[in-house]
Amino acid sequence: MELFANLAHGFAVAFSPINLLMCLIGALVGTLVGVLPGIGTIATVAMLLPITFGLPPVGALIMLAGIYYGAQYGGSTTSILVNIPGEATSVVTAIDGHQMAKQGRAGPALAIAAIGSFFAGCVATVLIAVLGAPLTKLALAFGPAEYFSLMVLGLIFAVVLAKGSVLKAIAMIVFGLLLSMVGSDIETGASRMAFNIPELADGLGFATVAMGVFGFAEIIRNLDAGAEMNRDLVQQKITGLMPTRKDLVDSAPAIVRGTILGSILGILPGGGAVIASFAAYTLEKKIAKDPSRFGRGAIEGVAAPESANNAAAQTSFIPLLTLGIPPNAVMALMVGAMTIHGIVPGPQVMQKQPDLVWGMIASMWIGNLMLIIINLPLVGIWVRLLRVPYRLMFPSIVIFCAIGIYSVNNAPVDVILAGIFGLVGYWLIKHDFEPAPLLLGMVLGPLMEENLRRALLISRGDWSVFLTRPLSAVLLGIAAFLLVLTVLPALRSKRDEVFTESEN
Amino acid sequence: MADTMGHSATATRNTSVAIGFCLLAVAPQIFEFIWSIGTIFGWGAGRGPATVLISHATALVAGAPGALIGSIGGDTKKASSDVLLALIYSYPIFAVAIVTLFMTIRSAQDYVGGIVLMALALFALWASSDLQGMRGFSFGAGTAPRMFGGLLVGLGAAIALTGLLTDGPSMAHYSWRGPLFVMASIVFFALAIRPLGVVVSAFTSFLIAAMGTHETRWVETIIVGACLTLGCALLFPYVLGLPMPMFPRFLVQ
Amino acid sequence: MTSIRAIAAGAAVLASLCSFVAPAKAQTYPTRGITMIVPFAAGGPTDVISRIVTSHMAQTLGQSIVIENVVGAGGTTATARAARAANDGYTLITGHMGTHAASVPLYPKLAYHPEKDFEPIALLAGTPILILARKDFPPKDLEEFVAYVKANAEKVNAAHAGIGSVSHVSCELLHAILDVKPVGVPFNGTGPAMNALVAGQVDYMCDQIVNAVPQINAGTIKAYAIATAERNPSLPNVPTTAEAGLPAFQAQAWNAMFAPKGTSPAIIASLNAAALKALDDETVKKRLLELGSVIPGPAERTPEALATLVKNEIAKWSPVLKPAT
Repeated sequence: MELFANLAHGFAVAFSPINLLMCLIGALVGTLVGVLPGIGTIATVAMLLPITFGLPPVGALIMLAGIYYGAQYGGSTTSILVNIPGEATSVVTAIDGHQMAKQGRAGPALAIAAIGSFFAGCVATVLIAVLGAPLTKLALAFGPAEYFSLMVLGLIFAVVLAKGSVLKAIAMIVFGLLLSMVGSDIETGASRMAFNIPELADGLGFATVAMGVFGFAEIIRNLDAGAEMNRDLVQQKITGLMPTRKDLVDSAPAIVRGTILGSILGILPGGGAVIASFAAYTLEKKIAKDPSRFGRGAIEGVAAPESANNAAAQTSFIPLLTLGIPPNAVMALMVGAMTIHGIVPGPQVMQKQPDLVWGMIASMWIGNLMLIIINLPLVGIWVRLLRVPYRLMFPSIVIFCAIGIYSVNNAPVDVILAGIFGLVGYWLIKHDFEPAPLLLGMVLGPLMEENLRRALLISRGDWSVFLTRPLSAVLLGIAAFLLVLTVLPALRSKRDEVFTESEN
Repeated sequence: MADTMGHSATATRNTSVAIGFCLLAVAPQIFEFIWSIGTIFGWGAGRGPATVLISHATALVAGAPGALIGSIGGDTKKASSDVLLALIYSYPIFAVAIVTLFMTIRSAQDYVGGIVLMALALFALWASSDLQGMRGFSFGAGTAPRMFGGLLVGLGAAIALTGLLTDGPSMAHYSWRGPLFVMASIVFFALAIRPLGVVVSAFTSFLIAAMGTHETRWVETIIVGACLTLGCALLFPYVLGLPMPMFPRFLVQ
Repeated sequence: MTSIRAIAAGAAVLASLCSFVAPAKAQTYPTRGITMIVPFAAGGPTDVISRIVTSHMAQTLGQSIVIENVVGAGGTTATARAARAANDGYTLITGHMGTHAASVPLYPKLAYHPEKDFEPIALLAGTPILILARKDFPPKDLEEFVAYVKANAEKVNAAHAGIGSVSHVSCELLHAILDVKPVGVPFNGTGPAMNALVAGQVDYMCDQIVNAVPQINAGTIKAYAIATAERNPSLPNVPTTAEAGLPAFQAQAWNAMFAPKGTSPAIIASLNAAALKALDDETVKKRLLELGSVIPGPAERTPEALATLVKNEIAKWSPVLKPAT
């Protein structure tokens, strides 16, 4: 029962007053910054990394982990309230979450997101402690070919989650893929479609585009003549703050399924968490009795992806803790934080730094508990924010977004680019194109292209690797099946003709 | 928003749609021309306005047809990027504009949406035309952009086709006030944050954005703007420790 | 307007309350906080070294030094910005092998020149480069490795962390020396590249010591040689390239501090002195050594020595690297 001894040790470390305080500060600061529109998890952790440098190593990492999942909680808040996803994993939450807010159900949406995240966090924490080491094999079994197939599957998910025309959704994904190709080519370093603009050399940032097509576009559209009526209606409609019994019953299975999907996909380095959130959404939509509710404020559409992305956020620590390899950008920052304290994580980090590893695992659970205690009462405050007259609210959102985008890279050009994408997003709304598939195409595009090229480089141009490697073949099979499932009904009848009223 | 399902008066609007497409067809050229005016005052690098005007005009009128005939005749001399722009981007859209005149548009929303996407894809094809293609078994830098650019041309065309074949909403109404002031506010912020600092740029941008709606009441806007600015000025540079100038540079020194 | 002024005044009061500036020395440089641009993300080797050194320098200079991480285009975006900054000694940059040497041949349209646009201040620390391979790669030592790669240049895969990264640039040097052109498999950063190496999906790579030490000690990958003149205390069993029979392969990811061109010699001298004082401090030294860094010897510490280093490095990388168009 080494496990219990380890966990007990971890809790002993995490429950020391100083570490509890660090955890609390981290969770609070993470929530605070994550809730600012324009600043997602990665940006939050990157920005706040320096303030942990002066702390003792264990405390610093506990605080940083707190910032990480605190930002995750905060990020879903902006998705739901103002339709601004701070990062790729909460794009899906915005779809149904913001619809719920428009129907006066922001309270239940926020609460279910917090509850789902808490449940997922608890399960994932136990999973890390119990199965961390064996699950590591999964991270190593995924080579370029498997990643490519996973990304193809991910893009199919993006089609499924579209609520309108399938053709338009596919077009948006491809548009997203094209946008993702702006910048330096990974293999040759050649500058692609960057027009010699130095700020484009590294491509378009996710936050920049997301802020534009979701945040700014939404604001501009709300300022349209005639839109005041809708806004005022929303403000009068606010009903209960907490989910009803029916909401809880509806979302409980979704939370469980989301947690399972998220826990598994989170272990995969690079892109796992993103795919987790909309795999969860797609699953809910596919097994729902009435899929047409999705995209119009279905509570499962908030519960499942939020649980999935929080579970994935937790399990993405597994490769870091067992292999010493950061699976994503946030974890790379964590490694940076460890490095500055003279700890370089490796495969033996669990043996060599038991205080750090088990303390951090225990603190994750404590942090999640703190977050739900912080967030549930906050729901009332956030919902009250919606009552602020729009004429005051929208300039504030503009300013927060602008400062947020600027502070991610200290680059003024990013702010202007976000503005341009705001106009693009406004145009997309006017022509009934959905921005979510575009963003997902943009996030998954580079992963797909890079892994395709890597796989072909390693196989020396032999395309059959995608089918001869069993994991990859299975993933492609699922993708093909899903595609058929989605496209067939769409071909049979133009979907959702009853609801052509644009309520995007 | 309630009833956008009208088929009314679409046919009469064909000419304006076609003219719009013609403008779209030369939009990059016009943009470069406007941009190039800046070089007179020493802003930015690039070609001067006269060069831009002449080279694009010749490319559109003479260069591209020449290259087209040349390529048919087996002449593989590499065309300049202006000629390629005319050839890859402008001509197809001119063609679409002409075709539009003879079509009955049943859903302008879809038709225009599809064509503009197609234009974007053609533009991407042009932008990636200087990149290397397949090199043996490995992808070149240009392979994927061309692949997806081509795919998007097809998808855009398909969407436009649905706009011709099925009934749907006509063009939505665009307003100018919101987009204009929100954009102005964003651009002002971007230009001002480095030289003028958080306090001035945030407050001014707030006021500019507030002009985006006629509902604004100035007294409360100024008060809220001031509070927000104070909050940001404390939050970002101090609480979060971000490197961000606070006050105008000339005041600090 | 009054409200703006009131806020400005209020904020100014708060600013003075909040700022924890040490008592400034009257009228001598520095009289206010210094910004240090780091052209890479927080937490990377260059960032860590900069933070360790500048936190000590701030004590010596009596002013805060704020690190500003500006990422993009292999660090060249930030470096271009630093080159254009005011040369008053309040904006400095930590450059490294990539931004101040390898970028010259890699990016023909570089917006600055490392020699012409910067005043060298001091060399801070170098990170040695290792030749690493998956644990079941057939060759047992460097000589076998050289023979194997030469014999199987068509079959082997070399991983790197992206065009212009230290791992890419240094492996290009290795390949130039061996006169082979194996397939280079690009990854997005050192993390994914290391993951692929541990998983055995690629054969070998060249990487900085920081990330590799724990993996080597755990036996998940193996190291053939270290490309420095002396063995490194954190990996005493790994021979140097000279010992293992490939003396031509010498590479180090050096980090150094620069100021924009035209910064006054007095300021350069005081910054150089502060940097050297930091490097001699026992805690600073200990933390840098923990990272596997190499601290420059007395002869390498002057601004002139750094100028020579930059010149030599540009000459070294120029024939090896092809421009990324």
